[in-house]
Amino acid sequence: MSSPAPEDEVLGRAYDGRLMRRIWAIARPHRGLILLSFGIFPLIAVLELLQPYLVKRAIDDFILTRDWGGLGGVALLFSITLAVLYGLRVAQAYVMQLTGQRVIYDLRQALFAHLQTLDARFFDRNPVGRLMTRVLNDVEAISELFTSGVVTVLGDVLTLGGVVAIMFAMNWKLALVSASLGPVLAAATLYFRMRARESYRRVRTRLARLNAFLQESLSGMSVIQLFAREALEYRTFAGLNADLRRAQFRSTFYDASFYASVEALGSAAVALLLWYAGGEVVRGALTFGGLVAFLEYMGRAFLPIRDLGAKYTVMQAAMVSAERIFGLLDVDPAITSPASGSVEPPAVSVSSAAAAVEFRRVWFAYDDEEWVLRDCSFTVARGEQVALVGPTGEGKTTVVRLMTRAYDVTRGQVLIEGRDVREWDLTALRRHVGLVPQEVFLWRGTVEDNLRLGRDGAVSAAELERAVAAANARRMIDALPGGLAALVRERGVNLSQGQRQLLAIARALIYNPRVLALDEATSSVDPESEALIRSGMARLIEGRTSVIVAHRLSTIQNADRILVLHRGAVREAGRHAELVAAGGLYTRLYELQFGAAGR
Amino acid sequence: MSPARRLGRYLYRYRLRYALGVACLLAATGLSLGIPWMVKRAVDAMSRDGAAGLWRYVVAILALAAGHGVARMGSRFTMLGAGQWVEHDVRGELYAHLAKLPPAFYHEHRIGDLMSRASNDISAIRQVASFGTVMLAGTTFTVIGTVAAMWVIDPWLTACAMAPFPLLVLIARHFNHQVEVRSTAVQEQLGVLSAKIQENLAGMPVVRAYTMETREIGEFAALNREYLGRGMRLAGVQSVSWPMMGLVSGIGALIILWLGGRAVVEQRITLGGFVAFNGYLAHLAWPTIALGWTLASVKRGLAAMRRVVEILDTSPPADASHDEPGALPAGAIEFRDLTFAYAAGRAALSGVSFRIPEGGLVAVVGPTGSGKSTLGLLLCRLFEPPRGSVFIAGRDVRDVPVGRLRRSVGFVPQEAFLFSRSLRDNVLLGVLDVSTDAHVAAAEAAGLTEEVERFPQGWDTVVGERGQSLSGGQRQRAALARALAGAPPYLVLDDVLAAVDAAKEWEILASLRVAVSGRTTLLVTHRLRAAQEADWIVVLEEGRLVETGRHADLLAKGGLYARLWRVQQLEDELARA
Repeated sequence: MSSPAPEDEVLGRAYDGRLMRRIWAIARPHRGLILLSFGIFPLIAVLELLQPYLVKRAIDDFILTRDWGGLGGVALLFSITLAVLYGLRVAQAYVMQLTGQRVIYDLRQALFAHLQTLDARFFDRNPVGRLMTRVLNDVEAISELFTSGVVTVLGDVLTLGGVVAIMFAMNWKLALVSASLGPVLAAATLYFRMRARESYRRVRTRLARLNAFLQESLSGMSVIQLFAREALEYRTFAGLNADLRRAQFRSTFYDASFYASVEALGSAAVALLLWYAGGEVVRGALTFGGLVAFLEYMGRAFLPIRDLGAKYTVMQAAMVSAERIFGLLDVDPAITSPASGSVEPPAVSVSSAAAAVEFRRVWFAYDDEEWVLRDCSFTVARGEQVALVGPTGEGKTTVVRLMTRAYDVTRGQVLIEGRDVREWDLTALRRHVGLVPQEVFLWRGTVEDNLRLGRDGAVSAAELERAVAAANARRMIDALPGGLAALVRERGVNLSQGQRQLLAIARALIYNPRVLALDEATSSVDPESEALIRSGMARLIEGRTSVIVAHRLSTIQNADRILVLHRGAVREAGRHAELVAAGGLYTRLYELQFGAAGR
Repeated sequence: MSPARRLGRYLYRYRLRYALGVACLLAATGLSLGIPWMVKRAVDAMSRDGAAGLWRYVVAILALAAGHGVARMGSRFTMLGAGQWVEHDVRGELYAHLAKLPPAFYHEHRIGDLMSRASNDISAIRQVASFGTVMLAGTTFTVIGTVAAMWVIDPWLTACAMAPFPLLVLIARHFNHQVEVRSTAVQEQLGVLSAKIQENLAGMPVVRAYTMETREIGEFAALNREYLGRGMRLAGVQSVSWPMMGLVSGIGALIILWLGGRAVVEQRITLGGFVAFNGYLAHLAWPTIALGWTLASVKRGLAAMRRVVEILDTSPPADASHDEPGALPAGAIEFRDLTFAYAAGRAALSGVSFRIPEGGLVAVVGPTGSGKSTLGLLLCRLFEPPRGSVFIAGRDVRDVPVGRLRRSVGFVPQEAFLFSRSLRDNVLLGVLDVSTDAHVAAAEAAGLTEEVERFPQGWDTVVGERGQSLSGGQRQRAALARALAGAPPYLVLDDVLAAVDAAKEWEILASLRVAVSGRTTLLVTHRLRAAQEADWIVVLEEGRLVETGRHADLLAKGGLYARLWRVQQLEDELARA
């Protein structure tokens, strides 16, 4: 069974100058914090190095000389370093976390804002799940750089350097003896870490494979049961499960070996030190206190070397995530307002000769050459109500989408009020032309929130009331628990189709666009709701230029003109009665939708 | 049975490994306590007789270190390994159980929720069974051993040095609890944030249409800020608790420096004892800090176990009868006054009776929601029909073992679900004998042969979600071939043309004609051209049988069937226009 490795398995370099510069650009606003944590590090390092020295002094100068009073002084000093060190470490940890969290905040905000500028085509190509991973997980990986990556490496280097310097200053021969184990430790760390990383990756791919299998099994369980395949599927699953366990055990092996060998090396270093120090102490080249301090220093030198591997992994993961995040941030929005800055909507005067909406030889395809609109032309006069009908789905919906530049035409022009939509300021265009998509998308929040979608929510209560009344939604809203304050669950699952459509009408009335581009819902509702929706729709359309993808008999019968769209172009046009009389495409469509099927 | 006892049963399975692990842990603790002891003796010897004889201690330390390393590794292999076995077993049993649960269960549970139990919860269970047990046993041994060793050096000093530890344990636990509470708050906010992003991305057409971008960014910023705030509250307690480790060992060192130094001055202990004491106290720092973490992970693990047990305790439908070998003999299918309702809903079918004679083809037609698909599901017992209402080969389906029943009926579902495997494996899904080439004949009958030849990898082409994507028609034919591969005497075709456009419909219809010949076939469809071919047509509306007869008779009658036929003709005309 071949399954492509999940995205996060491709680990590369731990350092990439180009990416680092961009990460730095993001962290720049927080450079004060970063500098602060850089500033705290040397203080911590100094205090850490001071402690063993105090122990040495205590032993040599007071304990061995039986100076009880002097010991009290050293103990006091020691407790002060302890307290200060703790305080500094708390501050340090907090500052680093703060930096990380702020970077997360900034990056998420930047990504979210950037996503708002991208066009429909982008979202057609990029599944929601992948984009969510960018905003949620990849961002966290980058912040790790600031909480446990680069910055702490610097601290570790400082401490290590200090320890080595002090050890050499105290007794260079002894320092050389203990330093001799350093490379061994580093080599062991590198070897086991490398192997461990490899084995972790194996565990993750096995786990991903197992979970993919499980997910598919759960989705297709009825097929498995229909083909009485349970036992065989279980066998495959058991194989994957066993694979995972073996991989886990392997990684346990490297992990356990790593920690055991580090500990053993630590003890070996102690033994080595004791053995060599014995002679030095006897010769008076090293005091007892010095020996104890040496043991301490060595322990402190071990830690940073041991943790090096983990930090390398953090860096690698951050680079991978950075690559992906910047990849997303670098996607240029394909549909933007013209560069000449914000263009005010043209004054719409009644005398203006231009049509409210015009499609001029429009060609459009979602994918390369699969034309949805082919040389499609029509005009809609100001105040005219046009119904779009036709047997195939995509073409009609595409027409209303193009009117608000959800997509750009491939060839030809869409003109609103005589001007190419590409010359309009995007916001002005979308305020002028109100698009009501077929699926009534409701947001989590209150009913009122869902009505105040547009115009940045700046709608007076009276205006809201009027719209609700005009949309025939008053009674329906009052019936909800809490009325306007009733909670709408995710995607409006707690509202019926009829309720949702009434809300959509009220919402559009509040938005109050000059031109309405509406894709009627196809789902049928109960007769009572249907009547309410019908008269609500009539009020919404009244006095507006409208282009409606029509599924309701009333809508097409009341339209000033019906355009029959078929195979990407307007094939017939006229009033309902004329078209029926003509006996063409429309006649069949009409019978299909409203006649024989007995809708 | 409580989740803890349930978990205990799994652990008990690996009692030998755990016992060995505990023994190793005991040895490791003892050996590691020996090292500071040797350092003590070495230092004492040094101050007594200088460097002579030091090598003995050096060798002893090296030996202890090596022994400790081996014992430590041994304990980890056995206990972590056992934990992984427990995870393996729980997961395996969960899967085996899930495979027994009927479609009704999958209607009630979202797959995301089931996945989370099968992955997150099971890994939490592993945490308890592996690191949890190691930590609990290890901490106990270390604390007892260390205190005992210190006691031997000097009881009074030990009492003084240990005095702050209960307090430290309490403080560490408190912080741990705080971390837990606050990170839950962070996770919750992350959930809110992710729901917001999901909603925004899914509702992007509306965002654009109502020029809501600025507002959305503002709303997201508010949620994002809340996340930042919660993150910082967590960071606050974490920054206070992380450096605790250093503080605890520092306080120990301070006590030794002050009181131990005094004990040396008063000659109650030797300088070596002083050094060793330092070493022992350092041993205690880690268990003190980790205790809270360990307890929290046990709590999490038990909660996870409870959720998994919930599924394991859902009983699958009883099928007491033992499986019978082979498929049922060819015969008739009969529905006798069948009334059926899905859980607490209105009846999907009421009083439906008709018979498909051996080798016959009966088409069931009707508008969406007329209950026609339910017939096939009941025949295969994906949902249980009432006794005495569905018969196959003269037997009540309730009396036929499910395995044998499903081997006998080839089922082509509405949505052709294909697995991410090779085309061969998909087609041979129901065939136990893997050496067979039944897929070739089945593909021929299903009209799939040409497609297979066109794929570069032929039968080895991986299809499905993570493989080569197939067109609706190809998927349907693959599903048809899959149903035919087991050479079943019965066939159910559940609206197989639903996802296919008119042009493809002809191709599939053509292959169907070959496929169904000689099998007792139930053809559920809303496309009447396929029904036209049937020996007999049954028309359903709202769960009731309203018309039945041959194509020509039904047309002449001018009822529902005739109306549906007219709709289809109009569609054809439009498609050709």
